[in-house]
Amino acid sequence: MHKLLLLFVLLFNSVAFAQVNFCTDELNSVPVQAGGREKPLYVLAHETIKFMTGKDKLEGMSSTVAFCKLTLSAFGMPLSFEVPIKVEHIDAKKLLGLNENDDHIGVNTLNSKINDLESELSTLKENNSYKKELTKIRSRLMTYRAIVEARAWSVPVEKDGKIDFVDLAQYLTETRVKEASEKTDTPVNYLIHQAQQKYQELKGTAYLLELKYYKWNLFTWAMIISILAMGLLIGLKNKIPGLVLTIISIAMQITSMAMRVMISGRAPVTNMYETVMFSGLGALVLALIITTYRKEFAFVIAGLAYNVLSLMMMRFAEGMLDEGISPLVPVLRDNFWLSTHVTTIILSYAALALSWILANAILIRSSFFNVSKEEYRYQVDLIYSAIKYGIILLAAGIILGGVWADYSWGRFWGWDPKETWSLIVLLVYMAILHGKYTNWVSPKIFVLTTAGAFMSVMMAWFGVNYILASGLHSYGFSEGGAIFLGTFFLIQTVLLIICGIKKQKA
Amino acid sequence: MNTLMHYYRKVELFFGNMKFAVVIITLFAIYLGYGTFMESYHGTEYANRLVYKSLPFMLVQFGMFLSILFATLIRLPPKKHLYGFYVIHAGLIILFLGSWITYQSGVDGNITLAPNLATRDIMINQDELSIQFPSLGKEVTVDLPYVAKPKNMDLEYEGIKLKTFLPFAEDKLTWIPSTESDEYQSSSQYNLYTPNFGEIINLTLHPLSDFNNTLTLGPLSVHYMPLSLAPCFTENTKEGLIVWNAEIQKCIAPTTVKKVKGAGGEKVQIDFDGRILSFVPGMSPLPLDEKMDLDEKSPYRIFSKKLFENKPHLFLFGTYLAFFDRDKNAWQGSPIALKEDVDLPWMGFKIRLLEHRIDAYPSQTPHYLTPVQENSQVVRGDMKALEVTIDDQTFWVKSNDPVAFNKNGDKIVFRLGRKSVKLPYELILDEFKMDTDPGTNNPASYESYVSVFHGNQGQSKHHIYMNNPLKMDNFTFYQASYFQTQAGPFGSVLSVNFDPGRAWKYLGSLLLVLGSIWHYFLRRKHIKKPGDARA
Repeated sequence: MHKLLLLFVLLFNSVAFAQVNFCTDELNSVPVQAGGREKPLYVLAHETIKFMTGKDKLEGMSSTVAFCKLTLSAFGMPLSFEVPIKVEHIDAKKLLGLNENDDHIGVNTLNSKINDLESELSTLKENNSYKKELTKIRSRLMTYRAIVEARAWSVPVEKDGKIDFVDLAQYLTETRVKEASEKTDTPVNYLIHQAQQKYQELKGTAYLLELKYYKWNLFTWAMIISILAMGLLIGLKNKIPGLVLTIISIAMQITSMAMRVMISGRAPVTNMYETVMFSGLGALVLALIITTYRKEFAFVIAGLAYNVLSLMMMRFAEGMLDEGISPLVPVLRDNFWLSTHVTTIILSYAALALSWILANAILIRSSFFNVSKEEYRYQVDLIYSAIKYGIILLAAGIILGGVWADYSWGRFWGWDPKETWSLIVLLVYMAILHGKYTNWVSPKIFVLTTAGAFMSVMMAWFGVNYILASGLHSYGFSEGGAIFLGTFFLIQTVLLIICGIKKQKA
Repeated sequence: MNTLMHYYRKVELFFGNMKFAVVIITLFAIYLGYGTFMESYHGTEYANRLVYKSLPFMLVQFGMFLSILFATLIRLPPKKHLYGFYVIHAGLIILFLGSWITYQSGVDGNITLAPNLATRDIMINQDELSIQFPSLGKEVTVDLPYVAKPKNMDLEYEGIKLKTFLPFAEDKLTWIPSTESDEYQSSSQYNLYTPNFGEIINLTLHPLSDFNNTLTLGPLSVHYMPLSLAPCFTENTKEGLIVWNAEIQKCIAPTTVKKVKGAGGEKVQIDFDGRILSFVPGMSPLPLDEKMDLDEKSPYRIFSKKLFENKPHLFLFGTYLAFFDRDKNAWQGSPIALKEDVDLPWMGFKIRLLEHRIDAYPSQTPHYLTPVQENSQVVRGDMKALEVTIDDQTFWVKSNDPVAFNKNGDKIVFRLGRKSVKLPYELILDEFKMDTDPGTNNPASYESYVSVFHGNQGQSKHHIYMNNPLKMDNFTFYQASYFQTQAGPFGSVLSVNFDPGRAWKYLGSLLLVLGSIWHYFLRRKHIKKPGDARA
């Protein structure tokens, strides 16, 4: 404590330091180590501030500036703001004395109530959403404490010609600061800059790609362009402008995805966020391929619609899809199988998503507008085309999964929930396709069942993780998906009932 | 012959019908969905026993097989436009056959490698009861049924009757009547709790009970004693000594003690109902005889309450309790009535007497329970138990908890556990290594360095890690899990697999995918777009 105070005197009571605004966005590119990875400070600051508060900025400050100021409070620098900690669950709000409309609690208030929270946690036996929320609030507070105790910010130092990371509190030693003070009026800036230079000398600047990835925000731009492309393809007779925008959107998504691959060093299909990202792009590319030989723009429009939906999920469903890049669990560290099995499965979901969009489109059109019988039969054939791609990719993906499981775990098939649900999806679509050859499945039933069958895909994709939550594939589990999935099932079922009851105008 | 063909045609038409395919595929999908929910709620093993490895599920799969087979046969002789279809269905038939071969002849188990300890036992997913007769040097094993619900075994071997098998069970407290009512074999159940913590504790003096007369809860030690000892604990004497006569079940807390210094420590002399007893409390609870040796036959015992004054010790006597209150620097006693609370001097703890019996003792009897899974862990019902009767005496053998039974002076040991398969060689774990992601404790890799001993043919060294198994003599060893031994070093768990159906499954899979591509894409026939002359 004595040393820390001395350091505080050295660092912050000096007039020289007070003249310099240390916490600026220039720190964005400083390398840090967190969560088992090396990344720019911007990414760490953005992730932690977002996790604690649910916001990108604090009191008008960027996350980097806010993170820096919070860290400096460890050295006695007074804080001019209080961090609002995110609270979502209604019972958690009651426990912490918040109103129903309050979404945040001041960190100091939370600190004073942490014993109540701990005591409540110890009495909760069932791991329900309330317990999970309390655990998350505690974790947010722990993250805050790590920052204000200067433990969250690690600094690269050279050790035997290699880079090692130490906490900022350990890095800013009295000796280092004294030495730096003799060379410059801004010793802290100097030391951090020196650490960054040393890191870049030894390990290069590849880590800065992540900064560009986040700053460029290409997925959001691609979403806007996809919406425009869809509008142009639907509204204009000339399809060229729409197609050009579609290709631009695809190029932007591929660029962003490639950056992500370069940052993580693995196929972009290792968590829910990435699978949604990959399926959205995959559906659009697949739609273009099918359009090329079927000369039918309905596929591109369906692809764009699904692409926009997935990009919107990535942009707005933050509670469900975690954008962060984290190290993989050991069993998944095999790029060959990740690049083959998972991508094939996700591409199959993308193809089936196209059939789902097309089925719902004709279902709504034929229920509320006039569609000729020929047009209806034609649309059924388009849906069938998309399903063909879907089931072939799905069958191949399931088998590749079996081969991977055989290679890694010693069994081709183990009735793991994820693999079982993939098989259920295949069986559901196979039942529909077989039924098509009987008098049980008329074109109308085919459209209805195809639109409904996508619920099995959603169950396999999201439901296993958010509802069943067990098995070897438990790596992708995250919160908040059950409500999304329930809402999806409800809307789709209501639509099927309404359209099923309503006489088709075909 | 014609009649036979007629019936065959009927069978072929029934199973090869597209409608049968739709029904069986749908049934299969629903059954699978049910299995995944069972797995989610009750764990993998329960789902396997109830669904995936049950007879009804096998029948549904057989129905799928028949549908695929007859759908192919009914479309013979070959037609060109169905080539893809034939390949798909041939692939599926081969896949089914491969799975059947694996099911019948494959080995799927685990081998647990403790550091530097040779082993060749693969534990497989089959429960067995082992009955050992040490005096005869004989061992008998019985395979237990792979069921999800209780099953009556109804087996008898040399007077040993095997009755109900519980594949999932948990112990339930039951009170077994004693042969006689006796304070010195009493048992009690208490609730020891604070506002945030609670624990039901069972204590007994009965020798047949599964419970003990002492237990430790964190820093607190709890002791259970006969009620007649209670007055001696609450009496505050200068020396804090208690002398107990086990013969007449009487104690005294002497107020005056004569101390004599001598070799071996301070000797104390106590007047117990007119009889002078000499003890060396620092050395032994036994009294000294006339020759100044420890008298092991004596019913008298001495101990000092001072031993229990520095740390929290709670003495329970059924309907009475005693403890040392450090604030008051004195021993305190209090009666405790049924369903009433008594405050204890440690961190707001209270105690409530829930049950006190002198005519019965508590016992843990297994009861069937559908297992409960939380956060991917089975939290209740992961025990297996088998009811055994010998000479009208019934008892339970629980998984990994051997029972020794004395029959006419001969010991019989019952052990319920996993069946093992012997490897033709021995494995030794030289080292287990776990790397973590930089700056975290999250595991990045698990690696086992293993030596394999092939008897006279020497030894070989291998490195097994995730996605890099060891293949040896048809067996494949995969890094599956790890554990830490009490001594500190890590042990490793490898999953071991022998799959004679592997090649069939790979061939079937390949045909399935190639056939699908052939069937769906090489036969391109599309419906024309209305009003489009091109299509």
